[in-house]
Amino acid sequence: MLEPIKNNWRILLLVVVVLGATVALFAPQFGPQTAPGENVSEAQQGVTNLQYGLDLAGGTRVRAPLIGYTATEVDFGGDQPDEVARAVAAELENASARDIGAVPEENAVEVTNPTVTESEFRAAMDASGYAYEDIRSGVTQETRDIAQEVITSKINEAGLSGGSVQQVQSLTGEYFILVEVPGEGREDVIELLEERGTVQIDIAYATENGTAIQEEVLIQDDFEDIGTAAQADRGTGAYVPVTVRNTAPEGEQSPAHSFQQAVDDRGFASAYNSNQDQCRYANGSLSGERNPCLLLTVDGEVVNSFGMDAELADSMASGGWATDGGFRLTTSEFSEAEQISINLRAGALPAELDISGQGTSRSISATQGENYKTYSLVTGILAVFAVAGMVFLRYREPAVALPMIVTALAEVYALLGIAALLSYPLELAVIAGFIAVVGTGVDDLVIIADEVMSEGEVNSRKVFNSRFRRAFWVIGAAAATTIIAMSPLMVLSLGDLSGFAIFTILGVLIGVLITRPAYGDILRRLLTIR
Amino acid sequence: MVAIEVPEVNYTEYSNRQLVAIPLAVLVLALAIIGGWFLVTGAPANLGLEFTGGVELRIADDGGDVEQQIETAFDRQPDSVRSIPADDVYVVTFRAADEDPEGLANDLSTQAEEAGLSTNAIDQVSPSFASDTARTAIIGVALAFLGMSVLVFAMFRTFVPSLAVVASAFSDLVVPIAVMNLLGIQMTLGTIAALLMIIGYSVDSDILLNNSVLRRTGEFYESVNRAMRTGVTMTLTSMAAMIVMAIVAALFGVDLLRNIGIILSVGLCADLMNTYLLNVSLLRWYKFEGVKR
Repeated sequence: MLEPIKNNWRILLLVVVVLGATVALFAPQFGPQTAPGENVSEAQQGVTNLQYGLDLAGGTRVRAPLIGYTATEVDFGGDQPDEVARAVAAELENASARDIGAVPEENAVEVTNPTVTESEFRAAMDASGYAYEDIRSGVTQETRDIAQEVITSKINEAGLSGGSVQQVQSLTGEYFILVEVPGEGREDVIELLEERGTVQIDIAYATENGTAIQEEVLIQDDFEDIGTAAQADRGTGAYVPVTVRNTAPEGEQSPAHSFQQAVDDRGFASAYNSNQDQCRYANGSLSGERNPCLLLTVDGEVVNSFGMDAELADSMASGGWATDGGFRLTTSEFSEAEQISINLRAGALPAELDISGQGTSRSISATQGENYKTYSLVTGILAVFAVAGMVFLRYREPAVALPMIVTALAEVYALLGIAALLSYPLELAVIAGFIAVVGTGVDDLVIIADEVMSEGEVNSRKVFNSRFRRAFWVIGAAAATTIIAMSPLMVLSLGDLSGFAIFTILGVLIGVLITRPAYGDILRRLLTIR
Repeated sequence: MVAIEVPEVNYTEYSNRQLVAIPLAVLVLALAIIGGWFLVTGAPANLGLEFTGGVELRIADDGGDVEQQIETAFDRQPDSVRSIPADDVYVVTFRAADEDPEGLANDLSTQAEEAGLSTNAIDQVSPSFASDTARTAIIGVALAFLGMSVLVFAMFRTFVPSLAVVASAFSDLVVPIAVMNLLGIQMTLGTIAALLMIIGYSVDSDILLNNSVLRRTGEFYESVNRAMRTGVTMTLTSMAAMIVMAIVAALFGVDLLRNIGIILSVGLCADLMNTYLLNVSLLRWYKFEGVKR
């Protein structure tokens, strides 16, 4: 009973691997992970568990650095981070303390305001009196981590399923944020990423000689219970329902109270008495009755200005509003409200992504991806036919050639199984790797066949084994060189090519360890049992 | 049925010098082409988008005079417009301008949209990222070549045969680059992958030859012919796969696969020449003259 297993274990191993690959490819347990709000059948692309990458499924990939400068090895001198930030900000004309981040864990101070140049920041650091080693471009690790989190939740909030966000480092040590969103066009993704998404409310009010703006009456952190965008009950506008936080540390006014105070101070209650009272604000100045206006500001730009219901203004004036804190951020368009809702929930990006300058992006439409899928399948099949044709022409003996082709195909099948198991997204480069594997695989099978059949009949097991071992030395050496040649690609960040390298190496390993020994056994059975 | 028989070459008719002359001449010519390219263009090859930076758009050809539209749609003159009939698209390439390429991809896709063209895919590579990629690629190829050389020397532990393998691998790398320049194929990430693949692929037949001659008993010419029978079959099978891949992928406009296919086909061709002329003659010299010293 055990004897046949022992004699044919190589073939059995190949069968086990092929069965394993089948399970990995088709069993629902190995299906792709589902994104939030997605069910299994949606996550699955086609009948197999294979995942298709950007090239074959369509989607957008963006790789861009976060804009900013960081002073390294800063001596904080025992000062608190916010003290340091304020001191540096005070030396910069165009930046507030919110644009400066002081991270004691990294001994670093960063500026994230894109208008600040390197020399300005250097001058500010010098003037602030904190000793530092050098200024480099880029932001701190902490900021990158926050940015990664924010982008991830932005993508999820926007309902773009299956997106991934990573930090990658280039050869020169620069950090980039790499965002991949399958099935989504370039514009949608870039729109989402390009906005930092800082939302704030300012108040515009009339003064004797014009219009003044009280900035940051409400900032992002002051909002809680952010609702989804909704169409306004009347008119064409839309709004996001929010609640303004009514809690604060000891001895400080809560945001709700201070907002209420500000609204009252600017005279909303006396200005808005009926529906006839309107806010008229354009290009930085009030017109008409010059009623005070609330300005909804996103990334420093006023996206909408609006007045206030008489009722609401009155409840603010009487001081009753703050306990409840309900408020509507009104916009003129629904899509704008949606964007603001996403920004508020996901939080603001701690620094801007430099997509148009140093960014690299790739976007492929779903139809183009579908086409690429078909083309690469056709290319792969034709390449296999070419190899098969050559092998048949050379050996003319189906007993030698047929197992050769079957074995080479088993190798690719096993690789597909691994790809499904790892949920590794298939890209064009990976397909190229598969075709390369068929090429090398058959090469080695040719070596085995030639070696075994050289010098006359193979009539005993012993002769076969010694010839097979000889052939195997060459195969092992060839495999080792291929692995060595491919390994730099695996670790260097050269885009899709790591996939190519990984699958070529895996293919070579499967070949040497599993399929080629099995081919040897098959050949032995065919040649010795006669 | 026509069978492929690998012909036996009668090496005794030729001296080592005669055998080496052809591959050396080809190598020198290839190096001269690459050197000349470097002097004229400042780069050893035609660098593709990934190494220069820029924007590439794949514009759907949905009937009508798309080519005409492309001519007029953009503010900037495209650097190249290629038509791929099998995929019904035009590939339009813009090199990164020396002036700031701020928002180039955005502008171009908006301009394409305004002109009523539908964009199937858009690739944007920033110049700084491109120069980074170029450096990484060179390091990658150098590391791979170095690793392969060390491994070969470790496996054979004799100087001349190891050198023969490394020398023909070097030539296998250089010849395809020169051919790429002449054919106007751009250096892209795909071609880098192909070059690394050549390092892996091409030494197979050299190792087979060295193994047959050095580690097996038997007369020199018999060993060479035995290795050649297997080696030529191997190389031709791989070449068949690569040529088919290159042709099919070129028809469909899948550049990555096409480039890998072309480069590997040329590299394997060069490998046939290098293995059975350069490597054989070095081995013969080593076997008959080198060992005696």
